[in-house]
Amino acid sequence: MTTTKTVVTLKVNGVERTAEVEPRLLLVHFLRDVLGLTGTHVGCDTSQCGACTVLLDGRGVKSCTVLAVQADGHEVTTVEGLARDGELHPIQEGFWEKHGLQCGFCTPGAMMTAVELLRQNPNPTDEEIREGLEGVICRCTGYENIVRAVKYAAERMRG
Amino acid sequence: MKLDRESAGARWIVRPDGCDKVTGKLNFLTDLSFPGMVYGTILRSPYPHARIKAIRTDAAARLPGVVAVITHRDVPGVNRFGIMYPDQPVLCEDRVRFVGDAVAAVAAESEEAAGEALRLIEVEYEELPVIDSPEAALAPEAPRLHPGGNVLHRTHYERGNVEGAFRRCAVIVEETYETPRQMHAYMETEGGLFVPGPDGKLAVYAPTQHGYMDRMQLARILAMPETDIRVVSSPIGGSFGGKDELNIQPYGALLALCCGRPVKIHQSRWESVRAGLKRHPMKIAMKTGVDADGRLLAHRVRILADTGAYATLGAPVLQFATEHAVGPYRIPHVDVEGWAVYTNNGVSGEFRGFGGNQVVFALEGQMDRLAEALGMDAWEFRRINLRGMDDPGPLGQRVAPTDGARHVWETIRRSSLWERRSGRTTDRRAETRLHQRDVSSGSGHVDVRPDNGGSGPAAASFSSPWVRRGVGAAMVMHGCGLGFGIPDPAGGRIGLSAQGNIQVAFGHEEFGQGLLASLQLMIQDLFACDPGDIEIILGDTDRAPHSGSSTASRTTSMVWQALHRLQPHFSRAVCERASTMSGIPVSHLRLGPGGVWAGPERVVRYREIAEKGTEGLQFETQFHFPVTPDAIMGGHYLYTFAGVVTEVEVNLLTGQVTVLGVEHAVAAGPVVNPMGYLGQIEGGNGMALGFALMEDAVMDGSRYVTTNLDTYLIPTIRDVPERIEVYAIEDLPPNDNYGPRGVGEVGSVGLAPAIAAAVRQATGTWINRLPISREQLMRPISTFLHENAPMVSVPDVGKEEG
Ligand code: FES
Ligand code: FES
Repeated sequence: MTTTKTVVTLKVNGVERTAEVEPRLLLVHFLRDVLGLTGTHVGCDTSQCGACTVLLDGRGVKSCTVLAVQADGHEVTTVEGLARDGELHPIQEGFWEKHGLQCGFCTPGAMMTAVELLRQNPNPTDEEIREGLEGVICRCTGYENIVRAVKYAAERMRG
Repeated sequence: MKLDRESAGARWIVRPDGCDKVTGKLNFLTDLSFPGMVYGTILRSPYPHARIKAIRTDAAARLPGVVAVITHRDVPGVNRFGIMYPDQPVLCEDRVRFVGDAVAAVAAESEEAAGEALRLIEVEYEELPVIDSPEAALAPEAPRLHPGGNVLHRTHYERGNVEGAFRRCAVIVEETYETPRQMHAYMETEGGLFVPGPDGKLAVYAPTQHGYMDRMQLARILAMPETDIRVVSSPIGGSFGGKDELNIQPYGALLALCCGRPVKIHQSRWESVRAGLKRHPMKIAMKTGVDADGRLLAHRVRILADTGAYATLGAPVLQFATEHAVGPYRIPHVDVEGWAVYTNNGVSGEFRGFGGNQVVFALEGQMDRLAEALGMDAWEFRRINLRGMDDPGPLGQRVAPTDGARHVWETIRRSSLWERRSGRTTDRRAETRLHQRDVSSGSGHVDVRPDNGGSGPAAASFSSPWVRRGVGAAMVMHGCGLGFGIPDPAGGRIGLSAQGNIQVAFGHEEFGQGLLASLQLMIQDLFACDPGDIEIILGDTDRAPHSGSSTASRTTSMVWQALHRLQPHFSRAVCERASTMSGIPVSHLRLGPGGVWAGPERVVRYREIAEKGTEGLQFETQFHFPVTPDAIMGGHYLYTFAGVVTEVEVNLLTGQVTVLGVEHAVAAGPVVNPMGYLGQIEGGNGMALGFALMEDAVMDGSRYVTTNLDTYLIPTIRDVPERIEVYAIEDLPPNDNYGPRGVGEVGSVGLAPAIAAAVRQATGTWINRLPISREQLMRPISTFLHENAPMVSVPDVGKEEG
C-alpha cells in the first residue's frame, strides 16, 4: 500500500495551506483530518446527504466528491470561513434566528448549499429554495425553518 | 393557540447553542481527536446466521501500523450488552445471528491500516439456516436463535368478553396492517473517542441518550468499577432513540484499554445501516366492531413484531404497542396480544414513538374503515367513541385526569383543512365533469403541481383526471415516561458555581431537541434571572447527576419537575447568604437578574455571594417519574394527545403521493420553549412522512438490500409540505401539577394514518401497508380514456379493499 504522496497547496478560508497528501485523499478528509476543520461533516458514503458541502472557488461542491489533489491551487471556503471579522454571514444569522437547525450536524453543509443558491439567485422563491436545497438531507427540522432561514438571508443580503 | 413567532412573544428565543452550530465551532463527539490517537474499526459478520469455527488474527496483528486486534477472548467482563436483557455479544464467540454482529475489532495508526487489517482477519464460518421473518421464527421446526427460544416477549391484555361482544356488533372491520423497517438515519453516524488515563481510568466521548446506562453497561463489559469510567454523551448529531443502546462504545473502550492509546471510531453510513437499530417492522391484525349507533364494542388485536437478532428494548417497545393499540377510545371489550420475535434480521429497538407509530397506523385505519362502513363522518365517529376526562388509561389503569383528547379533537374539527374534506365530497361530481371534458378535448396535461395556498376547495385547481386530492385525519394518545414496572429514575442538581452562575446539571443530552433553550427558559421563569446568569451542564457522568434517560418524551417534564423541587431550597439558601451579607431580612429578598434583590434594587450580586464560598449552596434531587398506581406492566400515567389532518394529492399514473398541507393539534401541557416545541412537531412530521411514503430498510434473506442513503430514501426539502401548522393546547386540569409534557415523539405518530385516510378519499384505495407503494395506486392510462369512466370510485387494481 505504498503510495506516492503529493504536495497540495490550497487557500482555505483565506489562508494558504500546504500539505503532503495521498492522491486518493478526499477533500472532506483533508479539511477535517489534516486541517482540523471539523465543521464540515460526513453523513453518507454515496454523495447524497450534502453535509460535506463547501465552496470551491466560490461554488458549492460536495467535498466528498472531490479529491484533495483536484483542489490543489484552488480556494476553499468552509463553514469556519463564513463569518467575516466576527460578523456572522447572513445565512448563519438566518439559520440561527429562524431555527433552521436542531442537532446542527447538517447545518454547515446546508448553509454552504444555500450560499451557493443565493449566489446564483439572490431573490429565490420558496419553490426555488426547495429546488436549490434538495441535495441536503436534514433529519431533524422537517425543513420548514430552513426555507425561512434562507429567505431571511436573501432579504438581508439584498439589503 | 397557533404556535408561531407572533403567539410566542418573548418566549421565542434563539438556541443558546445556535451560534456554535452555525459557525462550525461546536465539536460533535465524532469531531474530537486526541494526540497519539489511533483508529478503531469493527469486523462484522458477512452472514445473517452462521457458526464461527475459527478466528485467526495473527496476520492482521502483524500488519505494520496495527496496535490492537481483539476478539471475544479479549473481553474481560461480561461479553454481552443490551439495556433490558443483555443478550447481544460484544464480540461473537461461536455464532453470528445477523449481518451486523461483531466478530473482531482493530486499532491502527491509520484508518487505511485498520481497514486492511480487517481484511487479514480470517474467520471460518459455517452457514446456518436463516430465519428471515417472525412467521418463520415461530414455525415449530425453526432453529432456536436463543436459549429461551425465538420469542423475546409476549404481551396479553384482556377486558370484557370480546368474542361475545362481536356477536352483538352491527359492523365489524377486520384488517392486517404492515409497517416498515424504518431507519433513524441520524446524520451523525455512530462514533466517538476513547481516552485511557494514566490512572487506569477511561474517558468515553460518545453520543448516547443515557450516559449513566452506558457507563453501567461498559463497566460490566470491561470488569471495571463504574466510577473509573467517565461518559461524555452530549452534544449529539441526531439520535431519535437510535443511540440509546450501546453501539460502538464497547469496541472503542476495549481497544483503548488494550493498546493504552486514545482510540477514535466513526462508522461509515453503510456500517451504520448494517449494525444500527431500526424501528420494529410489525404486522398488526385488528378486528374491531361497533353497534348500530357506531359505538365501539369490541377490539381484538394481534401484534407480531420483528425484533431482529437481539433484545435491546424489544420487550418494552412491544409493551408500549400493546397499550397504544387501544388508543383514546372507549371500548368495553378488548383483547390485545403481542409477540416480539427474534429473527436473523437487523436488530429493532427504540425509535421515536416507541411502537406507537405502528399500532396507531392500524388503529386509526380501523376507525376510518368503521366510519365509512357506517356511513358516518370519520371525525364524528371518533367523537362519539372518545375517552372522557376521568376515564382510565388504555389498559384500565388509573391515569392523571386529562381532557387532551377532546381538545385536540375540537381543534381538528375546526381546522380549515378538515373542512376541505367534506368540501371535496360535494364537489366530486363537478370535478368529474370537468376532468372528462379536459380529456376528451385533449387538453388534459399531466401532473401540474397545483396551487395550494390553503383557501377554497381544491377542486378548482385540478388539471388532470388522474390527479386526485383527499383529506384525512388521525388521533394520537401517547404515553410519557417508561411506564409501570420499568425503573424510571429522575433527578438533577442546582447550585451556585464558583464564578457566581446559577449552575444546573442534568444527566441528559442535547441532541437537537432544544433542551438547552428549554432549561434556560424554565430557569428564567423560576428565578427571574438573566440568561447570562445561567450555566447548564449536560451529559457528563463526572459532572452531572443521574437523571435517567433522555427518551420517552420524559425529559422536558422531568427537568421541569426537578427544578420545581429544587427551587425553594436554592432560592432560600441564596437569599439567606444575601441576608447575612446585606443585613436585609430574608423575607424581603428575592432572586433576580444578576443577583439578589430587595424591592427595586439589587443588593448582592451572585458573584459576590460565590466569592464568600459556595458550600451549602448545592442541592440535588432524585425522584421517580410519575407512574400509575395500578400494577399493570407498562401502563403509563401521563399522556399527550395529538390530532393530525392532512391533504394529499395522488397522481394515479405514477402513484406519486404528495403531501400538500398538514395541521397538528397537540395537547401536552404548557409550552415552555415554543421554538423547540414547533421544531419537534415539524421534525416529527417529516419523519412520519418518510415512514408513510418512502422509508424502508429492505432486507432480503436477512441481508440489507438498502445499504446507504442512495437507496434508503429520506424526505428531502421537496417532499415536505409547504404548509404546516401547529396548534398547541396548553390547558391542564386544575389539579395537574406535572407541568409540561415532552413533545419529542407525539408529532411523529399520527401523520401516517392521516395520509392513508387522505389517500383513501383521493383514490378509493385502502392502505394497509407502509410505506405506501406507488404500484398500489397506479392506474393504467386507459382508465381515464373512457367517456363514462367512473371517477368517484376508481376500480381498485391493488386488491386492498378492506
Ligand atoms: S458526505 Fe454525504 S454527500 Fe458528502
Ligand atoms: S439539524 Fe440535525 S440533521 Fe439537520
